[in-house]
Order: sequence, then C-alpha cells, then structure tokens
Amino acid sequence: MAKRNACLIAGGMCKWGVREASLVDMAQEAARECLADLPGLKPKDIDGFFFATSYAGRCSFQTNTAPVIAERLGLKPTSICARVDVLCAGGSTGILLAKGLVESGMADIVMVAGGEKLYTPQKWEVFYSELASIDHDWDAPNGLGLPPPFFALTAKEHMKRYGTTKEQLAWVSVVNYNYGADNPKAQFQKRLTLEEALEAPLVVTPLTLYDCCPITDGAAAVIVAAEERAKDLTDRPLVYIRGGAQVSLHSVSANWPGEHLADWAHLRRAAQRAYEQAKVGPDDIDVAQTHDCFSISEVIEVEELGFCRKGEGGEFVASGETKIGGKVPINTDGGLLSCGHPFGATGIRQAIEILKQLQGRATHQVEGAEIALAHNLSGLNVEHTIVIYGREPVK
Amino acid sequence: MAVLGIPILEDKYPVTMDMWPLEAKEFNRIYKFYENLKEGRFTTTRCKACGHVAYPPRVICPECYSEDLEWIDLPTKGKVLTFTEEVRGVPLGFEPPLIHAWIDLGEGSPIRKILSRVINCPAGKLKEGDEVKLVVFPVPSHPIELKKETKVAERVFFAFEPVEK
Repeated sequence: MAKRNACLIAGGMCKWGVREASLVDMAQEAARECLADLPGLKPKDIDGFFFATSYAGRCSFQTNTAPVIAERLGLKPTSICARVDVLCAGGSTGILLAKGLVESGMADIVMVAGGEKLYTPQKWEVFYSELASIDHDWDAPNGLGLPPPFFALTAKEHMKRYGTTKEQLAWVSVVNYNYGADNPKAQFQKRLTLEEALEAPLVVTPLTLYDCCPITDGAAAVIVAAEERAKDLTDRPLVYIRGGAQVSLHSVSANWPGEHLADWAHLRRAAQRAYEQAKVGPDDIDVAQTHDCFSISEVIEVEELGFCRKGEGGEFVASGETKIGGKVPINTDGGLLSCGHPFGATGIRQAIEILKQLQGRATHQVEGAEIALAHNLSGLNVEHTIVIYGREPVK
Repeated sequence: MAVLGIPILEDKYPVTMDMWPLEAKEFNRIYKFYENLKEGRFTTTRCKACGHVAYPPRVICPECYSEDLEWIDLPTKGKVLTFTEEVRGVPLGFEPPLIHAWIDLGEGSPIRKILSRVINCPAGKLKEGDEVKLVVFPVPSHPIELKKETKVAERVFFAFEPVEK
C-alpha cells in the first residue's frame, strides 16, 4: 500500500480580541469560517475532531470539552474526538496528531480546532488563573505565572551576552504589528512606529507594552485530510504536513535545559528533529510563523531555528530580514503580538496563514513560497513544537 | 448571604483557587520537604541506588526508577546571576516589588541554579552578584476533612532575601 500523506486543506478563524461571546460560540464561528473556505465539505464528511484548549475548566466550569464543542458544530466523529491541552502549542499539537492518524489510516478528514475564553466577569481571575499554567507546587508560588518577568529575565540575559538593544526588540513589534494591521481577525489593527514602540509604558524592564502579546479570546479551525480525499475536495494546491517535533526537556524552572536563559537548547533539539522529519533545512524555509509571545522570543527563535547565527537575532529582525523580501518573512499575519494569543487557537491561526501562503493567497504574500514552518513555545518556556509544511510531500 | 450553587461564596475552601502547594501528608508523599523547610532546611531527594540527586524531590528516582531515596540538604545561600523587578501588574497574592532572580547555588551544589523570588528587598536595591539566603515564611492554612473532625493544615513556603552586609 502506498504511503498516505496528510494535507492541510482549509482553515478559518473568528474575530479575536475581547469578545462578547462564549468559547462554544467562538468555536462555531471559527468552524463556519473554516468550512466556508472549502465549499463542498460538509460537517458529516469530518470523521475526526481535536479541540485544543487549556483554560476551559480554568476560566470556565467545563471539562471534557471535545464532545461539547463537536456537538455544537454538528460533528459526529467516528475515529477520534479529543481535547488537546498543551497550552500555547495545543493547536499545533492537534495538527501533528491529526497527521499521524490520517497517515496511519485511522482517520480520513479531521477538523483541528482550538480556542480560549480568557476574559472572566472579574478581571483578577484570568491573571490569577495564569498561575495555573506553570509547575504549580514549585514555580507558581513564586508568582511566575504571568510570563512577563520570566521573559524580561530572558531579554536581560540576551542583551548582556550579545549586545541586543531595546530598539532591536522594538523592531519585532513594529514588523509584526504592521503585518497585523491588514488582518481584520487580529486583536489589533494598528500601524506601529518605532518611536511609539520605544515610548510605550513599561511592563517589566526591559519589556514595554508592545513587546508583550495581549490576553485574547478567540477560536480557529483547520481541516487535515488524507491526500486522496483532499484531491477530491479542493482545486487549490495541496499543502502537505511534511513533519514536526515536540520537545519537552523540563518543567520546573530550576531544571532549565540551556546554559543560560537566552540559550534555548530545547528549541534547537526540536528544530533539528523537525528538519530531519521534513527533510529540509533552515535555508529552505520560505516563510515562517514563530511564537512571538514577546519580542525577545522571536529574536531567540530566529537564532535557534537556524535562520541566523546565535546572538544575531536582534540584528536579523532590525535589518528587515523578517519583512516581505527579507531572508525569511515571519508572522506575516501579525503573529501573537498583533493577532493576540488564545492559547489553544494560536497554532491553528499559524497554520491558516501558512495554508494561504503556500496556496498563493495570503494578504502579505511571499512570492513562490513552497516550504513553511510554524513554531510554538508553550508554558514557561518548557516545550517547543514545530510543524513544517510544503507544496510537496516528503519522499 | 449564602448563594446556593456557588460554594466559594459559602466560605468553603476551593483547592482549584489555591496557588500554594498541598503540603500535608494526607495529600502528598514528599511532605518531608515542607517539614524540613519549617526547620530552615532546603532539601531534596537523592537516590541510594544510583546516587542521582533530583529537584524537586520525588518518590522515585527519575534516572533508575528506584524507590530507595534519602533526603539531603541543598545550599541555603546563593548569588544573583540576573533578576527582574515587577512593580506594576503583580498577580493577586503578591505585593510589589515582585522580584525574580536566577540564583547560582554554587559549584558544590547538585542543583546549580534556581529561579526564585527575592523578598524583604526594596525596589532598586538588588544588584547582580549579590549574595542571597533562604527565607521561610508562613502561607495561608487550609482545612482538611478527616473522618471525625476537620484539621487545619499549617503551611510555609520559601524564597530568598539579601544577605545583610
């Protein structure tokens, strides 16, 4: 029997931001957008369902979320119907799981959706609940749940060792906000200038307002299908899920796997394995979605993903290499900084932008893009997840 | 006024809203860590079979899966490698300045670096290279329903504070 390949064939998301809607409402909006992207596909054609969420049950009183959402979407899955809880990497994890099920022959057409309703009736609750996203007994009691202090430490370390400047960090925000300004689904549609970014209010030294992604309500959905079914369903170019990796080397901050906080050994491991799986290298990546939860994150990610040398991430971004026409255009839909970050939905949003890029229909189109990479960092930088897509399957 | 169906409003203890560990022996098998902490000792487990030191403490050795573990002391002093001070937007349960430091416990320590909170230190005072020491402080107690009675579990947690020069 020939090897089965998994393809990304459709995607859609609801408007992200501070939403007057429930998680179940937003999942319906996202699924509708997703199916509208591929006329001809009906809910009854979908045999598998993953729903990525981490704060259902934390910011709501609902666990076992997958059947609840599947029912509202009119889905009757027969191969899999499960929740994925890997915080910021939940969406990408669902896509990797769907790839495995489709390639094994267990599923044919899987909807991978994700979402979070983070804004609670009183605002203290979401901030307090963020303490639940890290190792509860050992890191949460130190107040490390809200990530700015940890990434501020990371930024200070990078600045100290490599001479990275505040202005270089600000360029990450400027580039990504200006991509997001043209994305109607993003939380912010704001053209940001370097001056505005540099004069923004302080969050935690050296991070200021535009260095940090916001808290966001939102949902998104994509369809992963077996190649043969995909050919029947769409006339657009097929986008193959070539490979990926998810690396987890520690949880408690004391067991940090790098030499220092700006050394992301676990991301290097993930990149190495994902490139091997996808049979490509960093120079083959035409467009990427990296996890810009903070400006400093993107600076370190472009280094560890091999787009530039270690220590040169700040210069890479500041010199325009992540813009259209640069070496690797990154976060061309606005990234987390501009789109916002409903944890479980973020990897799905990234996949939607990559789908459009590889099908030649993105708003900020990278001409002739054939290979794309999506990356997520999750938790208090405890896991790295990579998915590599391409116009051709791995041979 | 009690509101039926929302027990948090009826003076109940919701563990799902408790950011501190359940330290009592009824709820974990490493309660000795917290008992040691109450004596000012910062401890973890070492495997008697293979010698591996794990932090945080375990009930099995993560290297060889032996259950034959012993408690050992970790240094209670260290040096600040890098730190941040959060003065605004600190989470409920903490007061500004919320200072986090990456602390080097020294060459002889089986656990070399730890990310912890520095307390008893005003904003703007801490410097890289400063010496800090373990400080143990009480955190809110909680009830545990036993067969015939309700016990109150007293708790502590730890951070570091500047060593006065």
